[in-house]
Amino acid sequence: MKEQHSNLMKKSILNFFKKGVPMLKKDKKVDMDNKPSIIKDPVEGRTIIGEKIAIDGAIRGREDLFIEGSVKGRIEVEAHHLTVGTRGQVEAEIQAANVTISGRLVGNINATGRVKITKEADFNGEIKSKSISVEDGAYLKAVIELTRKPDQKPVPVVKPEEKPASEPVKESFTMAGKSSKGN
Amino acid sequence: MDGLDGRPSAQVLDLGPVCQENIRFLARRVKRVYVCDMFIRLDRCLGKGDSVDRIWHELDYPPESFDGILIWELADRLEDGGVRSLVDRCHALLKPGGMAVVLVLGEQVARLGANSFVLGQNFGVRLRPQPHLNLPIRGRQNRDILAMMTPLKPAKSFICRLGFMEFLFTRD
Repeated sequence: MKEQHSNLMKKSILNFFKKGVPMLKKDKKVDMDNKPSIIKDPVEGRTIIGEKIAIDGAIRGREDLFIEGSVKGRIEVEAHHLTVGTRGQVEAEIQAANVTISGRLVGNINATGRVKITKEADFNGEIKSKSISVEDGAYLKAVIELTRKPDQKPVPVVKPEEKPASEPVKESFTMAGKSSKGN
Repeated sequence: MDGLDGRPSAQVLDLGPVCQENIRFLARRVKRVYVCDMFIRLDRCLGKGDSVDRIWHELDYPPESFDGILIWELADRLEDGGVRSLVDRCHALLKPGGMAVVLVLGEQVARLGANSFVLGQNFGVRLRPQPHLNLPIRGRQNRDILAMMTPLKPAKSFICRLGFMEFLFTRD
């Protein structure tokens, strides 16, 4: 059983290096015990970097990548989805189609699709993407730039009419309306 | 918000609580949106029993970076010394002529706990409870807030629903 497990781990690592092509530099740090820490997830069709793995260098791949370990450097999975799991610690420049952040990420994201930041996330950096979602509770310090279609202009600012103040607490109020008074 | 009209290069900083609607709202109007959630930083700082002074280094942007800063009701979550630090920092970060938005919620709403201020169509703002935030509320009066925002100068005030007050401050 143990041998089978070990073989599976070797095969998974081999698969990752074949398909994901991580360009590990000489300063790579890999810390493994008996559990497989870089595995090809057979159900999801993605590669997982387990929480006991630390990679210092560049990762370039052609499949989805899920990071629960520590990665420092550059990550390129251009047509795929990168997920930083709740235990993931990433310090990197990222190029991906879609990105989900639930762990700690310091760096810049360039995504052609969507960036999702969940409430467990701790993000510090720049995001350039087509769209973004952020859950309440995320720890965020960011510069965000949503890509527009070439012919799309910024939405003009239109002053609204202020409505009577008679709504319950959760109803919206209107900022800077016409009935406002100047000091 | 008027200042954003026709100025996609305007720089706006939202001090939180982070909310995706505001990011989208602003990102449709300006090229780059800056977000630094000081509410959650304050919450974690108070939770650990650390000095609030620790949170101000997060606002490490270059001087005169922003045309607008959305402070919301952060000032009323801070002790007097904290408000002074916040105002000094915002004053330094605003460009001359830049504006800061400050809300004073009034006692009734403040008692409900921390909220995010969700910008919607036509600048409608609704509150969304943030139960993960456990922040004290000082319940300052409008005149106290006005006095504490010096050297920022009050430019306009708006009466909103249920006792909300919105103040616009400017930097000379």
